[in-house]
Amino acid sequence: MTYSLRTSTAAIALGLGVFGLAPAALAQTVVDFTVAEYSSKTGPYFQEVATAFEAANPDIKINIEVVPWDTLLQRLTTDVAGGSAPDISIIGTRWLLDFASQGIAEPIDGYLTPEFKGTFIDTFMSPGIIDGKIMGLPVAASARAMMVNMDLYEQAGATPPTTWDELYEASKKIAALPDTFAFGLQGKEIETDAYFYYNLWTHGGDILNADGTSGLNSEAAITAAKLYKQMIDEGLTQPSPTNYNREDIFNLFKQGKVGTIFTFPMLIPQIKEEAPDLKYQILPFPEAGAKATYGVTDTLMMFADSDAKEAAWKFIEFAYKDEFREKFDLGEGFLPVTKNVAALEHFTTDPDVAGFAAGLPYAKFAPVIANWEEIADVTVRTMQQIYLGEVTPEDGLAAAAAEINKIRGL
Amino acid sequence: MQKSIPMMMILPSLALAIGIIGYPILDLAFTATQEVSRFGQLRGFVGWDNFAEVFGDPLFWESLWRTGIWTFAVVVGTLGISMPVAMILNDDFYGRGLARVIIMLPWAISLTMTAVVWRWALNGRSGLLNATLMQAGLIDQPIEWLATAGTAFTVEILVGILVSIPFTTTILLGGLSAMPQDAYEAAVVDGASGWHQFRYITLPLMRPFINIAIVLNVIYVFNSLPIIWVMTEGGPANGTDILVTYLYKLAFRFGQLGKAAAISLIMFGVLLIFTMLYVALVSRNDTDAAPDQEDEADDHV
Repeated sequence: MTYSLRTSTAAIALGLGVFGLAPAALAQTVVDFTVAEYSSKTGPYFQEVATAFEAANPDIKINIEVVPWDTLLQRLTTDVAGGSAPDISIIGTRWLLDFASQGIAEPIDGYLTPEFKGTFIDTFMSPGIIDGKIMGLPVAASARAMMVNMDLYEQAGATPPTTWDELYEASKKIAALPDTFAFGLQGKEIETDAYFYYNLWTHGGDILNADGTSGLNSEAAITAAKLYKQMIDEGLTQPSPTNYNREDIFNLFKQGKVGTIFTFPMLIPQIKEEAPDLKYQILPFPEAGAKATYGVTDTLMMFADSDAKEAAWKFIEFAYKDEFREKFDLGEGFLPVTKNVAALEHFTTDPDVAGFAAGLPYAKFAPVIANWEEIADVTVRTMQQIYLGEVTPEDGLAAAAAEINKIRGL
Repeated sequence: MQKSIPMMMILPSLALAIGIIGYPILDLAFTATQEVSRFGQLRGFVGWDNFAEVFGDPLFWESLWRTGIWTFAVVVGTLGISMPVAMILNDDFYGRGLARVIIMLPWAISLTMTAVVWRWALNGRSGLLNATLMQAGLIDQPIEWLATAGTAFTVEILVGILVSIPFTTTILLGGLSAMPQDAYEAAVVDGASGWHQFRYITLPLMRPFINIAIVLNVIYVFNSLPIIWVMTEGGPANGTDILVTYLYKLAFRFGQLGKAAAISLIMFGVLLIFTMLYVALVSRNDTDAAPDQEDEADDHV
């Protein structure tokens, strides 16, 4: 009895204390910031930026929430549907059109001063512009490239390829080595479609035709798909690609079991840590009539119904200071999105970074269209059917193009 | 007055159940008749459009068919294994306590973790299963279990059975330990074989427990997302998609929340109809059986 009386008194006191503190807390503007988790370093990094910002702006509190990439879109969807969206969030640029067309993203032209805008590299700024309005700032960028295992190439007496024909010939030699796969082909889960786009683009094709219809039933697409299928059938890839997701392919490469993969810069820190003896080289994608790389950016977006836009923007400008951006890009292995960081020594002299950045002048981005995830899923499903031999490349791609056109309402 | 007291006593929990179960279903039904934006905002009434879209979608029908196979195979497989396991565990033998704990252990691990572990074990190159099979000389080339829909779905069903066994065994074990031992003793005296004891004593007496195990397992398995989602995400090429994985993709990847709401409502309907039919079937059998017993009783008199 005494005990419970004491606890309830304590609870009341606590309650009063909270109410007593409330007026002081209300004077602070709270900015909710949803951060996508790139690695275990992401959360602590943004917390550090927020702490520095709060020290300089005691009237603003930055409330950081770190969400894994896999569940980020689901999380934001539920937040928006439930009316509890954050004030700012990192999102995949491929989702931006959906956010913008539903009136959920706030155009930032009014906030962006010319000198702040001038700090960004234009290539990375452009994917965030929708209908002439800037809907978000690039926050992270990467480009894709080919990575080869130099030891395996030497053992097989092959030279790193520049064209698809050369890759095919080199792969034949490498596949002859014991317990070795020549080409790592991703066939499962996130970015299975991207692995095909690399091939499609370098054959001169594109995801969408000029008129907006799907480019999957083009000559280039069929040639590209046939090439992958032929490589599977001739044993030049690891067996059963549909069982290998992106990380599985990368792991095979780290183990030194595969000669060639297509990959992103974020793999470099992993290799340095887990397989420091691996002799690799970063090269542009093989060509068959066209040069291409896949440029991927993530966007920092402000929500239209935020009630702390001024404070949020103040934080955004603060977070883009060179010192923070340098730490972020180095820590996560990204390509810089701001000119000052890109000019730093590390990013101009490091052969790995240079290898990935080399493709930027001709980089392709995922088209900014509605329902992109669904269209990507159709592509993934079709590629899996082709790899498994359930459909021919011609039939599969024609059906996929028709389905994508239907999704696009064309 | 006397009668109303029990009613009043269950009223609070009834209200709670209606609030927790009923409200989401009403909300779902409402959402299913609305045009829903990419981010879940309602954009006005569209009637049956979402349902029409679902019924016109071949992937829905494939997933529905596969859900049927999945549910049937897992539930039948689970019962087929759990029954003998429960009977063995019901016998008194040295180390029974330990054996019971071992059987129950998988239950203590979350479904997602079990699925993750199996995904690793089934990996073609570095997986434990292939390594074991190859060392045992059963196969000479690694099998990529999850690469094709056929093998992937079979393996998923087996994992589904594995994780359903502890729960089902528990139910059946409860039934077995409540079984009257004198019936068996009498049967042994009359010279009944082990099979006859099982067929004519154990099975009939266990029927209520088997029934509840069937109903609950069907509901759990029909709605179970983690195993398939973690192991294959419904792939390759939608070849292992069941309704709930397809629904998850629609809702949270493609943002088609209206269509997803319609599918969940259909799933709810399917389960409701199954449960009602099954309960009706079971209780009709019981009422059929009841007069017989009375007749027998009369004869004796």
